[in-house]
Amino acid sequence: MNFSINLLKYINFNQNFRFLTLSSSLKIKEIKEIQQGKDLIIYGEELPSPREPFLLKNKYPNKCPVCASGLNIKHTDVLILSQFVRSDGCMLPKRITGLCNKQQKIIGNLVTMAQKAGLMSNLAPHWSKKDPKKRYQWKKFNKYFDESTIKNYN
Amino acid sequence: MSVLKRVQQWATFARVWHIYDATWQNPFASAELIKKYLMGLYKPIYHPMNDCGDHVIVINSAEIALPGDEWTKRVYFHHTGYPGGATWTLAWELHTKDPKMILYKAVYRGMKGNLQRRHTMQRLHIFPDANVPAHLLGNVSNQIKQLRPIPKRLDHMDPEVVKNSPKIFDYPKDYIVR
Ligand SMILES: [Zn+2]
Repeated sequence: MNFSINLLKYINFNQNFRFLTLSSSLKIKEIKEIQQGKDLIIYGEELPSPREPFLLKNKYPNKCPVCASGLNIKHTDVLILSQFVRSDGCMLPKRITGLCNKQQKIIGNLVTMAQKAGLMSNLAPHWSKKDPKKRYQWKKFNKYFDESTIKNYN
Repeated sequence: MSVLKRVQQWATFARVWHIYDATWQNPFASAELIKKYLMGLYKPIYHPMNDCGDHVIVINSAEIALPGDEWTKRVYFHHTGYPGGATWTLAWELHTKDPKMILYKAVYRGMKGNLQRRHTMQRLHIFPDANVPAHLLGNVSNQIKQLRPIPKRLDHMDPEVVKNSPKIFDYPKDYIVR
């Protein structure tokens, strides 16, 4: 009994930063219930991705998304770079992003630059202070980066 | 002297006041730009012996940006003149002590070290924020264009804009978004 109460406390404590929720906030599957006579059928229905209406058309099916787009991405293009990170600021792996080796490395470097410059401070671990102005010593001052320092960048 | 000529005379020899917003600007690249206006180098009547320099008001000097790791690599040297009086101050330490100093020193060092330099520096007015006294701001008639665009922060953007921006790739079907 005592043990289960402690466990419940632990779950509640974790609530603000756990990534598995039972609600529909993740928008992958929606739980639906159908009553057919005596039987209750519960099933998960796949929801369309929120990104789907805004996807760029890939004209070159054998190229990776970034190569096919032909964009020259800079570290200040946070609207693009934020697509490649999780909500805690971690870079997504290649099997999720579908990029080639070269672009995965370059995008990873650009994400690091954007994070160090404090441009994506809302995508950070839960214990982060979020505001770049509250960072430690020199880290609180504005800085920018030269993309040509990235290996293989164009 | 006709009225037109008289106005032309005033316009030629009057001191113009320029304003420059240093937000997210490199102070050393900005110094080259500010120097041009401070010394009046852009004027056809320029001559080293001709006192034709302008005033420049620099605002938001606390918001300057340095490239890469320069905040910890750039060092300012000072010697008191006494034995053991040498100090080495990192750029971020100097900026913490006085947010106007890096820009001031950048402009000062950008100019040739002659007797005129101290007087030219008197025409540079640096403010760490955007609070400029009204009697100075009233003189301003030109804004100097910034060298670098100010980057936009993701957390300052409208969530709708972020959601509706073009997307490069879609998640796999079984991927749990987190
Ligand atoms: Zn590629």
